[in-house]
Amino acid sequence: MASTFEQMRANVGKLLRGIDRYNPENLTTLERYVETQARENAYDLEANLAVLKLYQFNPAYFQTTVTSQVLLKALTNLPHTDFTLCKCMIDQTHQEERPIRQILYLGNLLETCHFQSFWTSLEENRELIDGITGFEDSVRKYTQLKVWLNKFGWTENEDGQIFVYNQEESIKPKNIVEKIDFESVSSIMATSQ
Amino acid sequence: MFLSNLIGFTCSWTPEASLNKVLLFAGDPKADLAYERQYEQQTYHVIPEVIKNFLQYFHKTISDLIDQKVYELQSNRVSSESIEQKIYEIQDVYENSWNKLTDRFFKTSPWPEAEGIASLVGNDAVFLILYKELYYRHIYAKVSMHQLYDNMWLKPAPFPPQFQSFSQYRCKTAKKSEEEIEFLRNNPKIWNVHSVLNVLHSLVDKSNINRQLEVYTSGGDPESVAGEYGRHSLYKMLGYFSLVGLLRLHSLLGDYYQAIKVLENIELNKKSMYSRVPECQITTYYYVGFAYLMMRRYQDAIRVFANILLYIQRTRNMFQRSTYKYEMINKQNEQMHGLLAIALTMYPMRIDESIHTQLREKYGDKMLRMQKGDLQVFEELFSFACPKFLSPVVPNYDNVHPNYHKEPFQQQLKVFAEEVQQQAQLSTIRSFLKLYTTMPVAKLAGFLDMSEQEFRIQLLVFKHKMKNLVWTSGISALDGEFQSASEVDFYIDKDMIHIADTKVARRYGDFFIRQIHKFEEVSRFTKFKTAVEL
Repeated sequence: MASTFEQMRANVGKLLRGIDRYNPENLTTLERYVETQARENAYDLEANLAVLKLYQFNPAYFQTTVTSQVLLKALTNLPHTDFTLCKCMIDQTHQEERPIRQILYLGNLLETCHFQSFWTSLEENRELIDGITGFEDSVRKYTQLKVWLNKFGWTENEDGQIFVYNQEESIKPKNIVEKIDFESVSSIMATSQ
Repeated sequence: MFLSNLIGFTCSWTPEASLNKVLLFAGDPKADLAYERQYEQQTYHVIPEVIKNFLQYFHKTISDLIDQKVYELQSNRVSSESIEQKIYEIQDVYENSWNKLTDRFFKTSPWPEAEGIASLVGNDAVFLILYKELYYRHIYAKVSMHQLYDNMWLKPAPFPPQFQSFSQYRCKTAKKSEEEIEFLRNNPKIWNVHSVLNVLHSLVDKSNINRQLEVYTSGGDPESVAGEYGRHSLYKMLGYFSLVGLLRLHSLLGDYYQAIKVLENIELNKKSMYSRVPECQITTYYYVGFAYLMMRRYQDAIRVFANILLYIQRTRNMFQRSTYKYEMINKQNEQMHGLLAIALTMYPMRIDESIHTQLREKYGDKMLRMQKGDLQVFEELFSFACPKFLSPVVPNYDNVHPNYHKEPFQQQLKVFAEEVQQQAQLSTIRSFLKLYTTMPVAKLAGFLDMSEQEFRIQLLVFKHKMKNLVWTSGISALDGEFQSASEVDFYIDKDMIHIADTKVARRYGDFFIRQIHKFEEVSRFTKFKTAVEL
């Protein structure tokens, strides 16, 4: 049985095509989609940004809860810069409201790698992440990876696989020797005839 | 309201009727309102014969010119010279005829409305758009013909600038009179974002440009999917330029993801018939580069800026200095240098030597100060170089504070400044890392006047921020893989930090080649001079 998220995804995809993505009548569907992502630990950046944009165009429809969920989901996708993209589309006034302000603060802690402070802060505000399945796991994965990468010089590719190389080979001084291509030299040869 | 907008657009090409009655091209909106009220009574109901003939002739000449231009672009002929010549000729003729006719018939009243003359020109939607431009420009007594051709690509694109200045005007409510506020309040449809988006999306849809581009880039024949309108080269170009219009509009609203997404079928690096309009190329790269910068894709931003700055350097001589085009390109050139300076400070990497030299000349001092963490320089440069951000919303006229119109800019500046602050220590750390190969972490922390714990955290931040999403392949500019091509890299083993520096051999060859060319020029010039003097 396909999850609700999967079922909604195709439908939402259609809504986001062309001029329909600016139709405020689609907000309810998109908001439910955000809620579904939170519940089922799924993620769709483009749809979430579309919600923020509709709020931008139609401030009367702005919802703090949905915006908070969008921001928290963005954090679970670190190190992608989704969180920054969201910030660019939420206006100042709303950024100062609770709990958005708290979430922005947590985001800042993660971006500046102050992981201890982050976990402490989260403990004090557990209700923030209510309903976001898998939030802590995703963040933990990001933070621990950062620490490991530092220690062992491993790198991660897009699929989350970790490549372990011989450290000496991967991180060592590179001497880049200059190559002059024929074209640049040919013009000189022509003029010196 | 939304639905009626949509229906309006699918049935006709022109923006909704209400827009025609009010404003809205360039210039001072206040003057528009005054003018409208004054001249409402004087519109022509019977169009003089001589005017009809003029318009028909005008229409034919323009259509021929456009067809030829498009033909040349399609068949890869770069004969912009002959086109420029043609435009110049037409310019001359119309500057005379148009002005004479204006003096004779329309000294104190507007030309006939577009609807009134539409049947004379076979309801050619594109011509009507150009005509309206003239119609409104006449209102400001600023008829400039050479912009007719520019308008072909500027037409979808200027919606954002005119919309921009109107949007900013709308927000500067503090200085408005009661009357104006009442007028604006009663006409919220004026230039609302939906209208602009509708027009751009309509053009994109009607021309089927996305499907055409998809097929084009996979080596197929776009004609097969062009559809009834799209097949006409003109609509194809309008579709393409509308995509660029959308790129701009989304950037101005702070939606950088969508800005780049609309170009997903356009391979930026590939030469195509579309990339032959220089202003379009330059504007596109400006907005794409800026979006990348805000998305923290520094490497992509740098690559994009360096490419286009090189392009401008090479094609500079092709533009006449006195034109509006030249000024616009010049401005964007300066702005992109500023943005490149910022990006290179955040993410040092090798770029083309000539661009680097130019950059050091213009911004060497500022770059040094930014490296030292001077936030003010970052903010000043950002303010100069960033686009003029917009708010999509009508303000609440009863309850606005005077700086409402600056808010979109402030918002983007804040996000940028936060990013700069988060990376504040990294420049210094980088310069220290370059000095050593191996060292105890605690010791290096001491040099930097930090606690060991704080230093370790900063090292994590370094790794985090230097890891960029970088485009490597595929058509969509949104694609990318995480890469870290920082000049300096390191790993930590228990208490020791091991550092690797990327050394680059000095590029002597490049330097010498350039000097040789310069000397060649000088010697040729002196030979010429001597010959003349003899």
